[in-house]
Amino acid sequence: MNDRPLLELRSVEIAYGRVAAVRGLSLEVQRGELVGLIGPNGAGKSTTLHAIMGAVPISAGEIIVDGVGVAGRAPEAIARSGVALVPEGRRVFASFSVEENLRLGLAARRNGKDEHALEEAYELFPVLRESRRRPAGVLSGGQQQQLAIARGLVAGPRLLLLDEPSLGLAPAVVDSVFETLARIREHGVTVLLVEQRAQRTVALADRSYVLVNGELRATLAPADAGDTDRLVAAYLA
Amino acid sequence: MSRFRPLVELGGPALLVVGAGLMATVVSRSTQIYVLQAIVAVAMVVAIYVFVGNSGVLSFGQISFVAAGAFAAGVMTVPLVLKGAILRDLFPILRDHELGNVASLVLAAGVGGVLAALVGLPLMRLSGLAAGIATFAVLEITNNLLREWTAIGPGATTLSLVPQTTGPGQATVGVLLVIAVAYAYQRSRFGRRLRATREDPAAAQAVGISIHRQRLGAFVLSGALCGFAGGLYVHMLGSISTGQVYLELTFLTLAMLVVGGMTSLWGAVVGALSVSALDSFLAEAERGALPNGSRLVVVGALMALILVLRPSGITGGKELRL
Amino acid sequence: MPLAVVDAQTLVDAVALGAVYALMAVGIGLVFGVLRLVNFAYGQLVMAGAYTLAFTSHLHPAVSIVACFAVVIALSTAIDLAVFRPLRGQSPAVMLVTTFALAFLLQAVARIVDVRDGTIGEPVRVVGQLNRAVGIGGVNVRQVTILAIVLGIVVLGLLALLLGRTTIGLHMRAAAGDFRTARLLGVRSNRVIGFAVFLSALLAALVAIVLTVRKPLVTPAYGLQETIVVLVGVVVGGLDRLWTATLGGFAIGFATGVINGVLPTDKTIFLPTAVFALVILVLLLRPGGLFVPRDAATVERV
Repeated sequence: MNDRPLLELRSVEIAYGRVAAVRGLSLEVQRGELVGLIGPNGAGKSTTLHAIMGAVPISAGEIIVDGVGVAGRAPEAIARSGVALVPEGRRVFASFSVEENLRLGLAARRNGKDEHALEEAYELFPVLRESRRRPAGVLSGGQQQQLAIARGLVAGPRLLLLDEPSLGLAPAVVDSVFETLARIREHGVTVLLVEQRAQRTVALADRSYVLVNGELRATLAPADAGDTDRLVAAYLA
Repeated sequence: MSRFRPLVELGGPALLVVGAGLMATVVSRSTQIYVLQAIVAVAMVVAIYVFVGNSGVLSFGQISFVAAGAFAAGVMTVPLVLKGAILRDLFPILRDHELGNVASLVLAAGVGGVLAALVGLPLMRLSGLAAGIATFAVLEITNNLLREWTAIGPGATTLSLVPQTTGPGQATVGVLLVIAVAYAYQRSRFGRRLRATREDPAAAQAVGISIHRQRLGAFVLSGALCGFAGGLYVHMLGSISTGQVYLELTFLTLAMLVVGGMTSLWGAVVGALSVSALDSFLAEAERGALPNGSRLVVVGALMALILVLRPSGITGGKELRL
Repeated sequence: MPLAVVDAQTLVDAVALGAVYALMAVGIGLVFGVLRLVNFAYGQLVMAGAYTLAFTSHLHPAVSIVACFAVVIALSTAIDLAVFRPLRGQSPAVMLVTTFALAFLLQAVARIVDVRDGTIGEPVRVVGQLNRAVGIGGVNVRQVTILAIVLGIVVLGLLALLLGRTTIGLHMRAAAGDFRTARLLGVRSNRVIGFAVFLSALLAALVAIVLTVRKPLVTPAYGLQETIVVLVGVVVGGLDRLWTATLGGFAIGFATGVINGVLPTDKTIFLPTAVFALVILVLLLRPGGLFVPRDAATVERV
């Protein structure tokens, strides 16, 4: 149909004051892909996601979603154009009920009342249906992460951005998060995944970019997941 | 070049004030009032700047100290023979003593400083919105006490018969004194520390600066200077009522500081003089063609406009450079 | 001083005053929730509404009331577009100073408009008949008192429904809780803020109608004293939550009503000092507010 990338970054520069956070970053995500963006703490991964969402201004370069440049647009406009972010630290509204949190995900839809989307989310995450009336704050960390991902999916996004979904979770829960990501991919949602768990991300993703000190260092394929030397080399290069 | 910097930074504001003072000696009696008012306004705005500008913390309360200073200086200089008759309810110590001009100005500064210390000790723990509301509460309390408590002042009536000693000479010398103190403070290590807390509170604390102590110091100094300015003010007017040192004066002086540029001495002086000039021009026009109330409309609009479009004020919040 | 008996009359009047102040507290609290802006100029919206009622007193009351709503909403929207939007993201202190300037500006404009006829102050006659009293269980209650109480209950009930059950209400609550995340989810800031400003204007117009029955002479300073008192109430109650702010507004109105009803005037002259000293005490000891649960995480005040 059309083979232009769903998301394309061209030589993007982001600076906090005089400190460069991201330098000359170019990458692309094709439709239906799950692409990883890995790198050490402070490499500029989250900053990149926030720039795509319009929450952080870029000082140079272009961010193109489905052929349209989005730089300078407000976060809510970008969200409503079909890009959903599952933010770092989950950011669920603790005093709101689980269902209210999900309904907030509908804010990005043009027709804000899609009950069908809620149903789908409950089918994907049955535990959320059980606790739909409870305040989100009483859920466990893993359940809150499921809620945050479900809230992103409810928006019916063309592109889902995930910011460190496994952060701060127990190892067993991390497993379930990665299983969830695999299931989301099967649903045909395009995903850009920011993670610190490099090996698992490289194994899961169609392609993984390694970001170090704001610069792209390497692009890894799933086959590289077992190659510890290559991973280490990419991080330390 | 940098050797001359202090000379320029202090000389610029001083020259403006001296210029205004000289102007006051040559103009007509009715214009002189406006010029004197502008000069005294410089004293108030610079006094407020010492705290608000250096700390970056908003205060609606500084006019409290102006009011306290004005009434202290006023009540203590009303001639004894008249005071017993018009201010019968005063505490005996206030009723039975009289001070000279200079002593009353010193007293005004002292009262302002002591009050600021009392208020500031707890209040300087607050910042942002909480500080704004709390200092506003201080203004309300001061106004309420001055208006109702006849043992410390005239109460709701106008205090009159205060010797009018603030002419061009006293106004100019007084303001130069305030500017010199403000400048000396901001160049001192205390001033530099406080400005550091304004720019980056976390970093300032990390290098061992106590935000509370630095703010308190500036608040007390500002209170003393405000009190002193209040003393100059009452000696210029000759009579004063509590309404004159309340909301409208708070608004006008804050407008002057904001319009000039909150973070520099130069901004405080330029703002006070330019808004005063505009204010007097409009006040004069109100007696002619413009409807009554126009001056507050224009000054309010100007202040809102500057806040929205150029929050750093007309000087950009920078000291004078050649 | 012997403990004066608080009679039913005083209590009913105090509840009515509390209801009016609660409505103002909601108007201030709604805008604070989404903008983090304490609107010092809120009283001038009430004042604009009151002047509209005064200048349209010769028309049919319904026309007069519609005009009051129209003027207050238009003014409030204009303020949002011209002042609040450009200020968005500024520090709370800068926003407070700006609304302080706005309050003076609007008062001065009102003075110019008012004194065209050579006198200051304009009487409102629109709903004056509401001052008539009806006997309820041996207590004489003015109709406006009943109106204020009913209005307070109905409006707060509707507001709770709006915030709790509707999409825009959910978005407003989300914006008040975490604006950044709400925007990332697609909540439109201009819409949410515009709606909050609109609701606060509706409330200001309602307050203008009730207040002009109680105090028919409208002056440029109309609503200013009430705003200052309500600001005190919402800060003492807790500005970060709408219901604590509202409760704070009601409490200070109720307390004012009881104290003015019980104490003779010469005993209340230092009341402002006591009230504002209490404000300072609360800000120092419970910066989140008096009615905020102690274990609740306090939102950082910049």
